[in-house]
Amino acid sequence: MLVFVGKRLLALIPIVIGMSLVVFLYVRALPGSPAQALLGERATAESTAAIEEELGLTDPIHEQYINYVSNIASGDLGLSIRTRRPVWDEFKERFPATIELSMAAMAIAIMFGVPLGFLAAKRYQGFLDNASLVTSLIGISFPIFFLALILKYIFAVKLGWLPSIGRLDVTRDLAHPTNFYVLDAILAGDSGAFWDAVRHLILPAVALGTIPLAIIARITRAAVLDVMNEDYVRTANAKGLRAAIVDRRHVLRNAMLPVVTVIGLQMGLLLTGAILTETVFSWQGLGLWMLEAIRFRDFAVLQSGILFFAVIVTVTNLAVDVSYAYLDPRIRYR
Amino acid sequence: MSVTEAETLELDLDQPTGLWREAGKRLRRNKAAMIGAAIVLAFILLAIFAPLIAPYGPSERVGSLAAVPPGPSGEFLFGLDEQGRDLLSRVVFGTRLSLMVGLVSVVVGLSLGMLLGSIAGYVGGRVDNVIMRFMDLMLAFPAFLLAIGLVTVLGRGMWQIMLAIGIVQVPIFARLLRGSVLAQRQSDYVLAARSLGTPGRSILLGHILPNALAPVIVQATLAMATAIIEVAGLSFVGLGPQDPSLPEWGRILADNANRLQSAAHLVIFPGFAIVLSVLGINLLGDGLRESIDPRLDL
Repeated sequence: MLVFVGKRLLALIPIVIGMSLVVFLYVRALPGSPAQALLGERATAESTAAIEEELGLTDPIHEQYINYVSNIASGDLGLSIRTRRPVWDEFKERFPATIELSMAAMAIAIMFGVPLGFLAAKRYQGFLDNASLVTSLIGISFPIFFLALILKYIFAVKLGWLPSIGRLDVTRDLAHPTNFYVLDAILAGDSGAFWDAVRHLILPAVALGTIPLAIIARITRAAVLDVMNEDYVRTANAKGLRAAIVDRRHVLRNAMLPVVTVIGLQMGLLLTGAILTETVFSWQGLGLWMLEAIRFRDFAVLQSGILFFAVIVTVTNLAVDVSYAYLDPRIRYR
Repeated sequence: MSVTEAETLELDLDQPTGLWREAGKRLRRNKAAMIGAAIVLAFILLAIFAPLIAPYGPSERVGSLAAVPPGPSGEFLFGLDEQGRDLLSRVVFGTRLSLMVGLVSVVVGLSLGMLLGSIAGYVGGRVDNVIMRFMDLMLAFPAFLLAIGLVTVLGRGMWQIMLAIGIVQVPIFARLLRGSVLAQRQSDYVLAARSLGTPGRSILLGHILPNALAPVIVQATLAMATAIIEVAGLSFVGLGPQDPSLPEWGRILADNANRLQSAAHLVIFPGFAIVLSVLGINLLGDGLRESIDPRLDL
């Protein structure tokens, strides 16, 4: 097992180097210079040149790349060109926001998706099965921002049940040691803030979780159908085990393998969806951060932020591979 | 009786049904897929005959400028937009854009992906390694983020956007093709062709590709749905087609996102146009997948 993990970790090195190169070149290929974006109307030839000099944009390109890599390696991500704050500080605030949102979305998707898929398989070709298939297909066909807008309109604007934007009521005072607001509220022992944070989380999480929910339901259904026809399930039934036990020990446990994989692979989808969901709900996470950075040509934020995104996806994929190898010993020795 | 005659006789007796005919039969029996096909067909007809179906031109002003545009009425079924243009006409003409985005981007993704994937799979070795590692690299970036990145570099013209969305799909097709080609390469008929001295290129084009095509067609269908959603998403974050007069569904929706309270029709109608077209394509794609490989009941 250790050998397997080690090999996979080694294989990451060229990928991460490749990613850093791609991101570096991408940021340089962007039209418009950061100096101009920074100075806006006031830009003169001299002030532009001065800022470019200061940002190291006048160095030869390969030196810029080496600087970039060695800075990242030493943990110095530079200052945001727009806010003049360290990129790392901004990341530390933004990252928990997106992870909190993604986790909540995934929790909703699993909590509803797995039982739905399981029930659909049990009632194969029955009403529930067909209804859940159609619903999940409609769910997949909804652009996430459209769904988010509708949810926001109905539950926040019309009914007023839930807050429409942000992560916490602006008037609420809460220390943020972790920047996971739900966790911060628990740490502070502030139940009012806790429920406030949860209420803010519901709509964006539902919007973001819908597509993974639909996918998880479909995969669970297919996997359960597959397993239900296995000999060992027939044997378990034949020897008179109670149906609930057969379902739990024999069917679900084996059907979970593909489901676990799919859950892991949703991470990229969640991050992508987060860009759109965060826009609708003004959720101050990585997605909005990236969009703002693109708008303001904030090179410093972009070249670290995009790399973070890619590293998160890659590491999650690795975690899926490793968990899969753990669950299914055959994979380790391939 | 010669060998060929015997073969012909046998063929006549058996009424051989090929993969495609079988698949077609299964597809026609699949109710959901047929509903999907009908929806897709309806949208294609809308796109082709847009000038005949739409009551007005997409940029034609038929009402007055209004901060709160009037909603659906007997005269204007979908209502008007803030510039006094007929929303129904804009949505109908928007069909052309969305279908074109779907089609062109899939053609881009498919052709590049097929080229790279089949070369990687057929040549193997170092070439395979280089191509596939690069594809892995692309897949490491979330697709929508990659599309955003490409659009910011290429520009926001309609063609650049279609190109960007197409490029994002390249690694998916390349992987699929490579897998298929690798599987086919081991098969007996390829060995037979090779032992007859058939040159590599015609083995690849004439023998392997046609047989590796089935999953690619399914993926291409589903990729069209993704493309339509992606271009709408780009519009939503302000990186869609730059030309404001284009009746792109996502753009109409995005421009009016904060009018949901006063003029919901400007969000609802383009939104459901996206949902319906994507749903149709997904239903058809799912049906295709099941009919081509009935075991893959996902």
